[in-house]
Amino acid sequence: MNQLAEAAADSLPILGKSPKELRALSNARHLSLSDAEWAAIQTHFKILKREPSLAEIETIAQTWSEHCKHKTFTSPIRYSEGKKTRSIKNLFQETIVAATMAVKKPWCLSLFSDNAGVVAFGKKWALAFKVETHNHPSALEPYGGAATGVGGVVRDILGVGLGAKPVLNTDTFCIGRPDYKGALPEGSHHPTRTLRGVVAGVRDYGNRMGIPTAAGGIWFDDDYRLNPLVFCGTVGIMPQWAVKKEVKPGDLIVAVGGRTGRDGLHGATFSSANLGADAPSSAVQIGHAIQEKRVLDALLAARDKKLYGSVTDCGAGGFSSAIGELGADCGARVRLENAPLKVSDLDSWEIWLSESQERMVLAVPPKSLKALEAVFAAEGCELAVLGEFTKTGRLEVTHHDCVVVELDMKFLHKGLPRVLREAVWTPPIVAKVSGGLAKKPGEALRGMVGHLNVCSREWVIRQYDHEVQGGTIVKPLQGVRHDGPGDACVIWPHAATGDMTDFSCFAVGHGLNPDYGRIDPYWMALAAVDEALRNLTCVGADPARAALLDNFCWASPEDPKQLGALVRAAEGCRDAAKGFSAPFISGKDSMFNQSKDEKGKDLAIPGTLLISAVAPVPDGRAAVTMDFKGPGNSLYLIGRTNDELGGSLYHRILGRVGGEVPKVSPVAAIDGFKALHAAMTRGRVLSAHDLSEGGLALCAAEMGFAGEFGCLLDLDEVPRDPRIYSNETLLFSESPSRILVEVKPENESAFLRHFGKGAKSAAVRRVGQTTANPILKVTGLEGSTILEESLKELKESWQTALPKVLG
Amino acid sequence: MSLKLSAANTFLIEVKLKSEFNDAEGAAAMALLREQGLSQLKDVRMGRLYEITGALSANQAHQAGKELLCDAVTQEFRLVPAAPAPVNGMNFWRVEVWLKPSVCDPVGATVVEAIVEGGLPKPAAARCGMLYLLNGRALKAQIEKAMAKSLANPLIHHVVATEAHS
Repeated sequence: MNQLAEAAADSLPILGKSPKELRALSNARHLSLSDAEWAAIQTHFKILKREPSLAEIETIAQTWSEHCKHKTFTSPIRYSEGKKTRSIKNLFQETIVAATMAVKKPWCLSLFSDNAGVVAFGKKWALAFKVETHNHPSALEPYGGAATGVGGVVRDILGVGLGAKPVLNTDTFCIGRPDYKGALPEGSHHPTRTLRGVVAGVRDYGNRMGIPTAAGGIWFDDDYRLNPLVFCGTVGIMPQWAVKKEVKPGDLIVAVGGRTGRDGLHGATFSSANLGADAPSSAVQIGHAIQEKRVLDALLAARDKKLYGSVTDCGAGGFSSAIGELGADCGARVRLENAPLKVSDLDSWEIWLSESQERMVLAVPPKSLKALEAVFAAEGCELAVLGEFTKTGRLEVTHHDCVVVELDMKFLHKGLPRVLREAVWTPPIVAKVSGGLAKKPGEALRGMVGHLNVCSREWVIRQYDHEVQGGTIVKPLQGVRHDGPGDACVIWPHAATGDMTDFSCFAVGHGLNPDYGRIDPYWMALAAVDEALRNLTCVGADPARAALLDNFCWASPEDPKQLGALVRAAEGCRDAAKGFSAPFISGKDSMFNQSKDEKGKDLAIPGTLLISAVAPVPDGRAAVTMDFKGPGNSLYLIGRTNDELGGSLYHRILGRVGGEVPKVSPVAAIDGFKALHAAMTRGRVLSAHDLSEGGLALCAAEMGFAGEFGCLLDLDEVPRDPRIYSNETLLFSESPSRILVEVKPENESAFLRHFGKGAKSAAVRRVGQTTANPILKVTGLEGSTILEESLKELKESWQTALPKVLG
Repeated sequence: MSLKLSAANTFLIEVKLKSEFNDAEGAAAMALLREQGLSQLKDVRMGRLYEITGALSANQAHQAGKELLCDAVTQEFRLVPAAPAPVNGMNFWRVEVWLKPSVCDPVGATVVEAIVEGGLPKPAAARCGMLYLLNGRALKAQIEKAMAKSLANPLIHHVVATEAHS
């Protein structure tokens, strides 16, 4: 080693340097290493009696980045709430993992240890689901950032177990309002441009790979104008035998797919920093979907021939992360000169750290190499043997016989110092509702349907191919004209299973509402889980078999208030998982989503939690859509309405603040969902739609204009807190766990039987009926008509709002 | 970048819609540029540029343009001369948007593969760019600013705005 010490050009002297000097080095090289981390590195190399090489420091920085090690969620926290203070050793273990272990679901096949979570799907198959964020790259280059976000999450699915076939992509965006008129700092993109770019990026990558994009959402809020959030998800299907993977010493390290270039350097460390004007352009890339499709086809063919023992994707940190992770328990020896390059003038550390897209790394028994080469050659996909896995417990990397990295795997993966962080949470005082004059219900409803967070997403959805693979049986747009807002999509993966006689399907739904989090992130988390599960229930998925994914996007966790809110949200997830008996199977966090605004002040995003949920639909032929199916049918409301307008769309429309944020009772909620699911499987339900933003009024309007039938609602029949005397509260409250259901008159008794004994705590009551005339008519508590609106006009406002602001 | 084609084996192939076809992409680009202050634009036509470097002769580059890069029904192509003659007047602008050399160009990589599959020698490299032909009163600085806010991202793109040339 002492080639390393001797190779002065490649070494990076750090021993004896002051924290200030190391901070400067960190900034200059975009390493995002903290003082404590530098101290640990100095101590390690002092013991080794040598300076580290540049490649070693880069490897450590990538491996210890927020992106790879999730330092916020795994570091100790001193949490103060009011006068009480307690210690949290590991937030992730104590919330997400603990709840998942507590609910113990035998159908969970792989949790938190692989590139995605995996659940059983029938007896032979398994579903893998992962949602990633690609926020910082998308802020810099919306098209490339979103496209490579899709590419990255698709590779996660290819790299879970021995590889799954992607059958669904999802996309959720949180973006500044497209009609934002204020100033922006130099170098940032206007939200309209960001929206156009990210939609195009998701479209081009997903469509070109032949994967349907059929679920997701958009949330507009000006606090995202500098830090847009781009959540890309993929569901894959794989045989259950392919869930387990194993690296054996002696296996060859084989890189497949794209060539390595200078693009994408420092993507992982970039995620550990606030977004600013000095962001490296190398952190942004343009994806190559056709290349990834070749990798996909070759990889799955090789999997079925059992030609490799393990696989992972080259994501953040490139070869350094991928090989470092695969060889973490044994060791690895790598010869960088074997890597196929895009350009010949790459330095050793650049080859090692490059995040060039569309690459995967496999652990291949030597006897299988020839057959593997043939499979990849048939798909026109490049393959190179970079080295082998060893028993040494060390990461050894050479380039033309020069040692560039020689690190102990234990130090690399377990040497990260855990720094105690302070978190403070001040419980919210329920403020009395103030501000904003009341509007007539009809006027408020008209404002709501045209609100950007509610209006039609058709402009986005129509750009995506949601039909490719031919299995999207409940589509994102529903109703007689295929333009109503669906709750969730249902996928029949027959193209992957090859079985046209098995009608087992799965549904994917989401929950997200940062406005609730502004009041209390704990209840935001519960509401998001509740929303995701009721969306699934509405299309016929089994809520008792739902698996959850969490994606936290937060501002700087170094701010105790931000971290306090994050702890609250994580604890909300824990209680939701336990209450709904729904395990988390995967998740991801993205921190430091804050930037300097045009005045030089920090602009933080609102703490944001996206919950994604997947559940089987036992028979896709019994799936349900949200549009009214005919006149004269009864409308039942499941779930109780409370005075919960805090953070609601109604308050936003009126400019009001304060009020109670919606509070979830998971046990009562899941009883109602299960009862509804049972009724659906027996064909008792014609349509179902969840009540979310805009409450009962908006839900009924959407069901009406999607089906082109009207309805009569009687607010006095709404199951509710008896203290409510306000029609507006009953119409617009966003109390969770509620679903409006259409039932044929002859099926009413059978439908209600499902809500008997087994679901005592679920409130269900007939609140009206559908009509032939496409009018939404509501009778208030006092018995007179308080709202009568043409559904045609409401639909027009709903459909034109987004295209209008996009120009 | 592309307008100084001095290297012997570098060809710039320009492909655009024939003038009789409605250019929807050009219209969309014009709307975006107008939003950014180029309110006097009367027309924008769009095209694609392919800079191919390597072993091809002029005839082979012509063949690649004709048989591979251009749809003969709706599009026309030309090899842009190394020293094009500018068209007089300041109301016609030619704007090229190229990915910076450090940014991966998947379309360019595909063009290289397709040229080989078409039986021609393998080029050393191919880069793809976007071409915008602007008709309307504007200053170069205005155009560059408007492009940076709408159709190009200075982080990954290199923009070349010149008076239009033949």
